[in-house]
Amino acid sequence: MSTKFPDWNNLAGFGEKVLDQALGHVGTLAGRMLEGNVRLGVTGLRRAGKTVFVTSLIDNLIRGGRLPFMDVVAGNRFLAARLRSSPDRSAPRFAYEKYLANLTAAPPHWPAATSGVAQLRMALRYVPGSSMRRSIQPISTLNVDVIDYPGEWLMDLPMLNQSFADWSALTLELLEHEPRRQIGARWLHWLSTIAPDKRADETATKEGASLYTDYLHACRRSQANLSLVQPGRFLEPGELAGSPVLTFCPLPLPEATARPGSLWEVMSERFDDYKHNVVRKFFVEHFSRLDRQIVLVDVLGMLNAGPAALHDMRMALTACLEAFRHGRGGWLSKLTGGQIDKVLFAATKADHIAASQHGNLKNLLDMLVSEARNAIRFEGATVDTMALAAVKCTETVTTEHQGRKLACIQGTPLGRQKPTVLFPGSIPDGPDLFPEDVAQPYRFMDFEPPAGVGRDGRGLPNIRLDQALNFLLGDRLV
Amino acid sequence: MSDRDRQGAPRQAPGWQPSNWQAPLELEPVRPGPGANEATPQTEPTGDDAGKFANLSLSHWNWTVPGFIGGVLALILVALAFDASDLLSRAFASSYAFGAAVAGLVALVVIAALKLAVDEVISVRRLRRIDALRDEANQLLAADGHGAAGAFATTVSRFYRDRTDIAPTIETLNASINDAHNDREIITLIDRQVLAPIDQSAYNSVLRASRDTAIATALSPSAALDVVIVLWRNLKLVREVATLYGAKPGRFGSWRLMRRMLGNLAVAGVAEGLSHVAVDALGGSIAAAISTKLGQGMVNGLLTARVGVATMVLCRPVAFTAENRPGLRRIRTELLNVPKEVL
Repeated sequence: MSTKFPDWNNLAGFGEKVLDQALGHVGTLAGRMLEGNVRLGVTGLRRAGKTVFVTSLIDNLIRGGRLPFMDVVAGNRFLAARLRSSPDRSAPRFAYEKYLANLTAAPPHWPAATSGVAQLRMALRYVPGSSMRRSIQPISTLNVDVIDYPGEWLMDLPMLNQSFADWSALTLELLEHEPRRQIGARWLHWLSTIAPDKRADETATKEGASLYTDYLHACRRSQANLSLVQPGRFLEPGELAGSPVLTFCPLPLPEATARPGSLWEVMSERFDDYKHNVVRKFFVEHFSRLDRQIVLVDVLGMLNAGPAALHDMRMALTACLEAFRHGRGGWLSKLTGGQIDKVLFAATKADHIAASQHGNLKNLLDMLVSEARNAIRFEGATVDTMALAAVKCTETVTTEHQGRKLACIQGTPLGRQKPTVLFPGSIPDGPDLFPEDVAQPYRFMDFEPPAGVGRDGRGLPNIRLDQALNFLLGDRLV
Repeated sequence: MSDRDRQGAPRQAPGWQPSNWQAPLELEPVRPGPGANEATPQTEPTGDDAGKFANLSLSHWNWTVPGFIGGVLALILVALAFDASDLLSRAFASSYAFGAAVAGLVALVVIAALKLAVDEVISVRRLRRIDALRDEANQLLAADGHGAAGAFATTVSRFYRDRTDIAPTIETLNASINDAHNDREIITLIDRQVLAPIDQSAYNSVLRASRDTAIATALSPSAALDVVIVLWRNLKLVREVATLYGAKPGRFGSWRLMRRMLGNLAVAGVAEGLSHVAVDALGGSIAAAISTKLGQGMVNGLLTARVGVATMVLCRPVAFTAENRPGLRRIRTELLNVPKEVL
């Protein structure tokens, strides 16, 4: 007898059936409500490896063959991961397939620099670890939202708390020191020819903005590999290319109060416009509801570029991390928009040095981010540091050189075809990174992705990606 | 052409780098040595730990106790030998066939005793190897270095090579380890991938044994029977757990395991005495007798569990960490169900 037409002689049985079904529905509904969501913020300055990190993260979760340090995988509770369409339709989908194809092509190559925002949702299916949760829901799902964006845009976040005057003063102060003074010489010259409290002239405004943009590009290209370059959209305009909102530049504070229509006033208005309509919009849409954050830092690239770059990166990181709200998210803050309760600082490209150096790399990162880390810890979030590589391009080998055993790496340096063995140099374990009398103590090389990478179907080879994921997501996969 | 040659060796700043600083350089890709964590075929360490302790306490080595015991054992052996030869000659004197039969029996006893002794020696050696493995793992964890644990992983997989049930996990382990893992990570991987499943089944054995003991001693009518049950079940449990970890214990296991168990038995006797006192105090009603019996059973169950967990700790090639140390919590909840099962 179907449940649609109840057997009037057996009402009790019918009631039981209906109740069973209802309970079943409630169970599935509860299950759907119990479906967890995590927004993972992949933060990193330019060239820190965000896109490759996200690609490797997705690939490894989908294939699941190289994650022995994830508790859920080690406990045989991980079922599978799938890509899902993101509930937020405003941003394009992260082109995971394209980037993976880049990495696994013959010959393989790195994905091009990111020029716009993209996001992706992954659903992770797993068996809950506790028997109580298993009885409610035998299989749980965790949705992980990941977003990828140009690292340049991150540098806009500190501007949110600054007025045009503050920002101008800070930027001009930076320009008083080398190497920026030399790089920005042409723009500084233009600055000396104008008076900010005079009436604005659109050609002059445009010239100033374009010279300033040139300066920013030169900073990015420079040997010193500077990180603190604002505003980020001047470098990677995304959909704003050619927009008038991008025509402003910092100005020295005029002595008298600026009259309406003066250059200062015009630039100040555009700055506020940029702040409110571009930066705040991006921040609110993508960053304000993050639960977990990983900050990727290219420590080796900074060591290559020298002390100025390292100092610059440190300032840039401290400045943009201030914008995030960290702290243990209570129920109230979860309702009103989450707070980040776990932050991982990761030194990327750890495969560019021998594995025995990873400890020193981690210590160095600890030292570099100590200020930001303490501030985040003070707010109540958990912080950890790690040396990792999203795609492992080298093998650590030991070789004999002049009677000494050296831990070397074997891989194909960028731009070459044949693999080679090289000693990449070592990272000091003390705080003195740059000696006075050694011109360029570090020359860490970049490597090509190894040929045939990921062909074994276990996911892209990586270094400590599993430990990073376990730190970031492990407690949501219990 | 190496980078070093091209750019000239950088001058070394005094007091800056570690003394053995080496500038970045490129080497000929001829034949690199084995990877840092690649399993290197390593020869079995010759000799045993005896050498390590040889010069430790010889100067004031007390010979009296071993001399006494050894002497008594030797005397007993000599006496037995005399007796046996006497017996044989008398048997052969009465009849050739009878003599042959007695000779066969004597040979059987001697061979069996030898076999037992060899088994014991092997079991002690395996336990020693487990101890050595645990020491090595502790040293590696303390040093927190890189490149040495690959060989340790090889040793562990060789230790378990004739175990078909562990072979798949060993395979997973070998696939998971790569050259970037440091020693701590490799030991964690061994811990989680190879030993955690063994822990699971060992813990289940302990759970079963402790329930068995609890129920059986709760139902048994006499104290003597309690002791026999506890002794037999504990012995079986120790053997089960040790076999799971690959210790292959002999008839008596190691002295350390035995000592734990003797302590356990002593407490079992105490529990018996206490329960009598309790019944007397309660006026010997049936309800009181039943409840004390049940309480006794649970005490014995808990003690068995402790023996089992102690065996797990002793037989594990990598020491338990604070996170995965087996607790008695689950066993306790399991034991609380025993009264319902018995009544």
